[in-house]
Amino acid sequence: MTAQLFDVQNVTLRFGGVVSLNNVSLHQNPGEILAVIGPNGAGKTSLFNSLTGVYAPQEGTITFNGAKGPLSVIGKKPHRVNAAGVARTFQASRMFSAMTAFENVKIGAESHKGLGVIGAMVRGPSTRRHDRETDERAWSLLRFVGLEQQANTLSASLNYGARRRLEIARGLATNPSVLLLDEPAAGTNPAEKLELTTLIRRVRDEMGVSILLIEHDMKLVMSLAERLYVLNFGSVIAEGTPDEIRANPAVVEAYLGSTDTGTTQGAQ
Amino acid sequence: MKFLQSPTAKRWGSLIALYAVVTVMTGPPGNQSSPTLGFTSSFSETVSFFGLFPAPRGLFLAGVFGLIIGAVAIYQRTALQGMVKQARQTVAPRYQSVTQRKSLRGVFYALVLFVAIILPHVVTDPFWQSAMVSQIAIYVLLAIGLNVVVGFAGLLDLGFVAFYAIGAYTTAWITGALPAAAPFHHHLNAFWAIPIAIVLVMISGVVLGLPTLRLRGDYLAIVTLGFGEIVTIFLNNLYNITGGSTGSNQIPHFSIHLGPVKYVWGLDPVPYYYLTLGFVVLFLIVFSALEHSRVGRSWVAIREDEIAAESVGINPLKYKVIAFAIGAASAGFAGVITGGQSLFINPTTFTLAFSINILVLVIFGGMGSIIGVVVGSLIIQTISMYLIHTPPAGFQNSDLYIYLGALLIAMMIFRPAGIWPSKRRRREIVAVEAGTAPDQYNGQGSKNGEGA
Repeated sequence: MTAQLFDVQNVTLRFGGVVSLNNVSLHQNPGEILAVIGPNGAGKTSLFNSLTGVYAPQEGTITFNGAKGPLSVIGKKPHRVNAAGVARTFQASRMFSAMTAFENVKIGAESHKGLGVIGAMVRGPSTRRHDRETDERAWSLLRFVGLEQQANTLSASLNYGARRRLEIARGLATNPSVLLLDEPAAGTNPAEKLELTTLIRRVRDEMGVSILLIEHDMKLVMSLAERLYVLNFGSVIAEGTPDEIRANPAVVEAYLGSTDTGTTQGAQ
Repeated sequence: MKFLQSPTAKRWGSLIALYAVVTVMTGPPGNQSSPTLGFTSSFSETVSFFGLFPAPRGLFLAGVFGLIIGAVAIYQRTALQGMVKQARQTVAPRYQSVTQRKSLRGVFYALVLFVAIILPHVVTDPFWQSAMVSQIAIYVLLAIGLNVVVGFAGLLDLGFVAFYAIGAYTTAWITGALPAAAPFHHHLNAFWAIPIAIVLVMISGVVLGLPTLRLRGDYLAIVTLGFGEIVTIFLNNLYNITGGSTGSNQIPHFSIHLGPVKYVWGLDPVPYYYLTLGFVVLFLIVFSALEHSRVGRSWVAIREDEIAAESVGINPLKYKVIAFAIGAASAGFAGVITGGQSLFINPTTFTLAFSINILVLVIFGGMGSIIGVVVGSLIIQTISMYLIHTPPAGFQNSDLYIYLGALLIAMMIFRPAGIWPSKRRRREIVAVEAGTAPDQYNGQGSKNGEGA
């Protein structure tokens, strides 16, 4: 078996007496669009924060095998995890609001370019070359997500859907192997949802970046994900393809609830 | 009634209240037999003007507040609302516009530099020549250094004076003016203090920064405050090393002996003025390059949203320590100049009040705005020196900080981002107004609402 992109083994995360993740094991294959679903409070975002180094789970192992070699995530700072090839977006989008869309993406593109304080002070040739390179990269990513026209708009004054796309571009700018999307479609309208679905698929197909997705919108998840994990009360209760998940009675009962069954059936 | 609740009415109301407070605080003290004397006579003194008696204090206060109100009236148009509009406009065009305006800006800077160069030949009053170095140029240098820490990186540093003190004492140390033995047999020229002090000060910045910069906001302010106090107390108590409260012996002036070139900076402040001016220009160029570089952008990112900054691969601790060290370096340099120029140094200069004074310059000028900080320092320090040198009738030296405080408060009421705010700060105000500025302590990073 080839190396898995993410290999999560028996991870338990506690906050005092509250168990947020309980013995969670899962994996992601390279190039896969994987989704994690579950009701509110199931531990999805905790899982994301554990995968990106924001939280350090007390038990278990998380191994990430990116293009830059394997990394044991637990205990590493978020910026180290990002350097290894894990980019993410946030549930409530976190832009650098006083920066333009372009600067937001540029920040991502240049963060791993070495330090160069002296170079920055005197604007030496290598600094200028890096500047040109990251400028180009930022432009090409803005084009990729379709925000070229708004490049010089303050990210604070972008609409919600555009901010979502900008966050994806900023994440991609750090040159990741996997992009973690925390409820990318939350608060977007149906047209934006459709755009987003296409964009996410393009990220994987054209850029070769794997996708790990948390989403509440079942329609989006079922059309996009190739495989799903279902979390409930911090534990994995099911795993499988969208069709398998839909047919799984435990999922229907625990997560979707009996009244929601109809909606899921009509999802595709 | 509705008018009283409008922001305009509130602002002007606060200004009137400020006027009353300043009047009382700068008035005569009360005494035991009539404890309210200070209060009542404060006002009777000022209003006696209307009784056609000469009332110098009343005139002076009217002058002070007349100036403030005049300044406010000028800025009213560009106050908060105007700034927001302005920021929206400046963002819209492509990057081209910046380069187009570059030449115009170059002319402006050249003009300012020219004025700065000929100034000592125009102002020949010895008081002002000396003040231009020790009270204005040095303060500009300190303010642009603190601006890197407070304005760029958003770290509240209340112990900035410590680095200034280390710079000054290093000069005294290597020139053999301290009880502690100089590190080299031949006492070095004060010029050598520049690299040595900058390295020492940067090291102390890193040593202070590494453990404490993990703290945020108020906690960091308290720790740096403590650091400043510790350094001052050391200077006072380590008699055998620092000379205690009497301070240093005479520090030799800067001098150059390079082959045929021989020059000694003497008691005349003008050569010191040019030396300091040269370094101010250098620091201005370097710091503004830094602001618009990757390092500057990373500082903004950290200041705005540390969690998001980490998620795109920025190491916050590293960049904060860099800001600390760079800010410290310019303070250390200012300390060297002070040591060389003032000849004697002692711990009474290096107090908490000094740190706060520099912070006031930064806040007044506009945090994060290099030009603003320079302009702010020039205004405040010039006003202070003017009042001390030629006190108008009704002004007492001890009341200086009350007037400066009033000026700062008036500024905060009418122009919260400083007199010349940076483009980015203006944009941040737009972001806050739009309600999209993320809250550091809420949302994704917090644990609330998860894991039930």
